[in-house]
Amino acid sequence: MKVVVDQGKCVGAGQCVLAADDVFDQRDEDGLVDLLDASPPAERLADVRHAAAVCPASAIAVED
Amino acid sequence: MSIDAERLQLPLARPNVLDLAPLYEVLRREAPIAPVTTPAGDPAWLVTRYEEVKLLLGDKRFGRSHPEPEKASRISTSAVQDGPTGEYATEEADHTRMRRLLTPAFSAKRMRMLGENMERLVDACLDTLIAEHEQTGVVDLHRGLAFPLPVAMICGLLGVPEEDNELFASLSERMASTEIGAEAHQAREEFFRYMVGLVEGKRGQLGEDVISDLVRAQAEDESFDYVQMVRLCVGLLFAGHETTVNRIGLGVLFLLTDRSRWDALVADPDGRVDAVVEEVMRLGAPGDLGLLRYAKEDVDLAGVTIRAGDALVLSINAANRDVTVYSEAEEFNPDRPERTHLGFGHGAHFCIGASLARTELRVVFRALAQRLPQMRLAKELDQLQVRATLTGGVAELPVTWR
Repeated sequence: MKVVVDQGKCVGAGQCVLAADDVFDQRDEDGLVDLLDASPPAERLADVRHAAAVCPASAIAVED
Repeated sequence: MSIDAERLQLPLARPNVLDLAPLYEVLRREAPIAPVTTPAGDPAWLVTRYEEVKLLLGDKRFGRSHPEPEKASRISTSAVQDGPTGEYATEEADHTRMRRLLTPAFSAKRMRMLGENMERLVDACLDTLIAEHEQTGVVDLHRGLAFPLPVAMICGLLGVPEEDNELFASLSERMASTEIGAEAHQAREEFFRYMVGLVEGKRGQLGEDVISDLVRAQAEDESFDYVQMVRLCVGLLFAGHETTVNRIGLGVLFLLTDRSRWDALVADPDGRVDAVVEEVMRLGAPGDLGLLRYAKEDVDLAGVTIRAGDALVLSINAANRDVTVYSEAEEFNPDRPERTHLGFGHGAHFCIGASLARTELRVVFRALAQRLPQMRLAKELDQLQVRATLTGGVAELPVTWR
């Protein structure tokens, strides 16, 4: 699985962190998304997909 | 039932505090963007389908300001969401600056760190309620838990003295009241003056809190207007308690009006609380209007032409019950496969307090299920006093476990 985030679109809602905090974090200085793991293991797919679905800025893309 | 060519008058009367007017279902199907007359008597569009509500929330052709605010449609009869807000020319830049300033303070990680503190607060509230219940047999969960927890949390974050809670709660109540006319606007002025006093009192001794952060940022940035900064502080204090207090109340009512819902949570509070909170966020429908936007240009959508300057009321309540998105949409079912909703909005204005609210709601419902498994309502749903405010909800939440 490959995860791509777009910090230009990110609004810092932090929904991805609540969904998968081993894959996403928020930067301390501005709260924008910080991708911790760009290639998470396959068993994390459901939570990562959920993070992408709930992102209010559509700033997360997931490829299988 | 079918939709008249005539304009519908908002608000659409609802059968009770948990359900919506049946007309919303007809609107979604037949007129997802319908011409309406607002409670203030002006024309607007009511948007009811999930697809269009989500689209419009994420579309930069729609904003919260208006190029000629005095000509814009007025919406609610309260002093909240009554009309356009912000400067038309600088709306996006102002909003970006505001988000940048506030986002770190409300980040998911910071809110999680507050979780333990919240748990202690909730336990203390429940200890007090349990002691009171031994004497009286009935306690008010609104006064004893739903109100004090969000108030304590937002006061701590913003740096507002908690002992002012009766004052700002009463100002919030009057400001959001839909039935007192000009007095609601007077309350908004009073709230503004209260906040000026707080801001100026802090200026000499700025601390580690959000209002201090905003005072610092405003002092360093001459494009950051003072009035705008104070209004933002008022908005944060208002939204930071008003919304969550109501949501706790609605959640308790959803859970206790059908015993099977409550029993399912009681059986596994840790495992089920997150899904229960999301379902409370989806179905809980505070207030009778929605989020307000003004079109910046002409837009053709869902069979209608929206003109530049037109007002739109985006019904989150209706969108979250859209049968084309949710199976058995009106049913309270935390196990549903659809896991997203618009309860915190969408797009650039997505609720900045979402992580705070989620953390509070999770702590509250987990603790209630663990400590008061026998809890039930002490009054019928229809007998509960509903607040005549823009944000709705109940004014009391009498429960018993005898």
